Amino acid sequence: MAKPSTETTFDSHRVSRRHFLGAAAGGAAGLTGILAAGRAPATAQAKELTFLTVASFVPATDTELKRQLDEWGAKNKVKVRLDIIAHLQLVTKKAAEVQSRSGHDLTALGPGLGDADLYFDHLADLNDVATDVAPKNGGWLNENDYLIRGKWKLLPWWMPPFPMAVRTDLLEQLGEKNPDTWEDWLRIGKKGKAIGHPLGIALGHSADANVTLLSILWSYGGSYVAKDGSTITINSKQTRQAMDFVKRLYTEAMDPEVLAWDDASNNRCLNAGKCIGIHNPISAYESAKKDKVTVPGKTQQIAEVIDHVNTPKGPVDRKATTGYWCVGVWNFSKNVELAKDFLRYHFQPENQARWVEAGHGFNMPFLANLTKHPVYKSDKQYRFIPEVAKVTVPPSWPGPTTAASQQVLDLYIIPDMFAQYATGKMNVDQAIAWGEKEMQEIYAGRRRKT
Amino acid sequence: MNSLSRWTRRSRPLFSVYLPVMPFVFFALFPLYFMFITSFKKNAELYDVTAVPFLIGRGVTFGHYELLSRETLFWSWFLNSLMVSLAATVISVVLGVLAAYPLARLRFPGGDSFGVAIFITYLVPPSLLFLPLSTVVARLGLSDSLWALVVTYPTFLVPFCTWLLMGYFRTVPKEIEECAMLDGCNRLQTLIRILLPVAVPGVICAALFAFTLSWNEFLYALVFVSPAELKTLTVGVFSELIRGDVYYWGGLMAGACVGSFPIVIAYVFFLDYYVSGLTAGAVK
Repeated sequence: MAKPSTETTFDSHRVSRRHFLGAAAGGAAGLTGILAAGRAPATAQAKELTFLTVASFVPATDTELKRQLDEWGAKNKVKVRLDIIAHLQLVTKKAAEVQSRSGHDLTALGPGLGDADLYFDHLADLNDVATDVAPKNGGWLNENDYLIRGKWKLLPWWMPPFPMAVRTDLLEQLGEKNPDTWEDWLRIGKKGKAIGHPLGIALGHSADANVTLLSILWSYGGSYVAKDGSTITINSKQTRQAMDFVKRLYTEAMDPEVLAWDDASNNRCLNAGKCIGIHNPISAYESAKKDKVTVPGKTQQIAEVIDHVNTPKGPVDRKATTGYWCVGVWNFSKNVELAKDFLRYHFQPENQARWVEAGHGFNMPFLANLTKHPVYKSDKQYRFIPEVAKVTVPPSWPGPTTAASQQVLDLYIIPDMFAQYATGKMNVDQAIAWGEKEMQEIYAGRRRKT
Repeated sequence: MNSLSRWTRRSRPLFSVYLPVMPFVFFALFPLYFMFITSFKKNAELYDVTAVPFLIGRGVTFGHYELLSRETLFWSWFLNSLMVSLAATVISVVLGVLAAYPLARLRFPGGDSFGVAIFITYLVPPSLLFLPLSTVVARLGLSDSLWALVVTYPTFLVPFCTWLLMGYFRTVPKEIEECAMLDGCNRLQTLIRILLPVAVPGVICAALFAFTLSWNEFLYALVFVSPAELKTLTVGVFSELIRGDVYYWGGLMAGACVGSFPIVIAYVFFLDYYVSGLTAGAVK
């Protein structure tokens, strides 16, 4: 029945099986040895400085960063590698690298300074680097904000300030001038909505919603955590005023779609010619310019009728926040000193200047001299970015940045609280009580862990 | 009367088969259609809220495909996905056959519990496993190489293939194997010469599923591999074409279109095997 050749093969199957079992046992022993030793085989340990960062919306920014890394690598005879991922993937990647205590040497952290607290035990101290680079660049903007538990566990790297983008042609049509306060924006939004051009402020689970709603909260004198970093202050008269304002904004000046918006939605709304204004970095304008998007029904490019004005002022203050993108060095890296050396190189004034220029100013460093970079005078659209940067504070303001404050952002407690009242699901007291309870549990939970 | 009954006979499938099936076909194919036409629309049209989203109204552009080909490492990612998926599929199907056969055919203490345990293993979500697996991958020195994926994909593919093949092997009559053994075949020969040729539809079905799962996998590919040139298609397209709050919708759709071709081709070629493999494996 069986062919001889096949029989030969199977006649020897006992021996083959022994060989197989032997080889398998050897392999398993090898793997066990590697796992027990906790280190990769020698062949996998070539010296290399690796840097994980997030994709910038201006690709030239990443190109310039890679150029600097390559240049530094060539000078120091170190193999270098820049890996770029979408910002949405960074949380997963950080968690895996910390869990396995291996991965990149340098890593982007954020958005927010909270990673410094969350990964405090896994990040190398950068006190020496922070002290070295600051004087050359006119000093850090707000040094105390960046110190987590009194230490430099990361360097604040760049932020995209949030001005208001506005359609100038629609303003003209409505007989309005560039608005300056949140009340101005409500008035304009109401008029705009009446002619099919509502205001676009995200109220869903997105970073933009966190940023804008916190800006409004502060502008009305409210906050969610006190300076001591533990007292929850959301239940206040000021919060009620801010929430009443947002409810009016939602019902009178916006469309319900804002409840489901992600970070890209407001860009799309402006560039589609629908929204009269959005609170956003200059990315919408830049992509409209690049894609040559036109005003609906006209041949005029929409970028030509977009202007950017200061982040709005409220009855009490003018404040804003943004994504605080940072850079850190894992303390399990084998190249901590090399990584620090590259940071010193990257934070040299001329390298920072080239990098900011490549990013069209979207990537504003937290260094005083860089806020005066010529790029902010190169296009009138950028003129308010340094102004916005001056009033930009960390999301936990006036409290310190902690893992708990980061968690409040990551769980979108603020947008949910505002949205529940704005949509009528809860009354103002219920919404605030809900938000307060959530925040208290988060802060108490984090206290228990530390 | 005759012509009426002829018409009725001919049109019966239209009402009993084709029309009832139309909503399901529409439901299944609409995402593909939308993906396809979006990949050919100009950016200006993609932004236009007044444009009809289901049609191309302002001319066709190949710009998104050019963007993928010229400004990203798309074809490297495609090749990486193909290599990883094929390797993981082969490994998983081989291991699945070797595991399914004794569980389906042999009686040994704990055999049934072992079968259930394999199924439960399949139910553990990768979002729970990626953290401990990242430690294993790092300690094996496989991080940032395609081997990390070839090694980890079978962790969810082998249980699935085993479970599916166990069901299929049980549908094959024992008697034909017993005849082979009477003729002098041992267990391994029986498996290779008798059972597997009969179980080809089941094996192809398992392979197709394994290939599809590998091809679509995202989380492990994201976590275990970082260098741009080694990314798989799912991660590469996502990383390069979502930049902050700017989404390159045309490019994303173009990537998704090209990325679905291998799966479509595989299913078109093996559809008959796939259907018979699924149904035969489902009922004993």
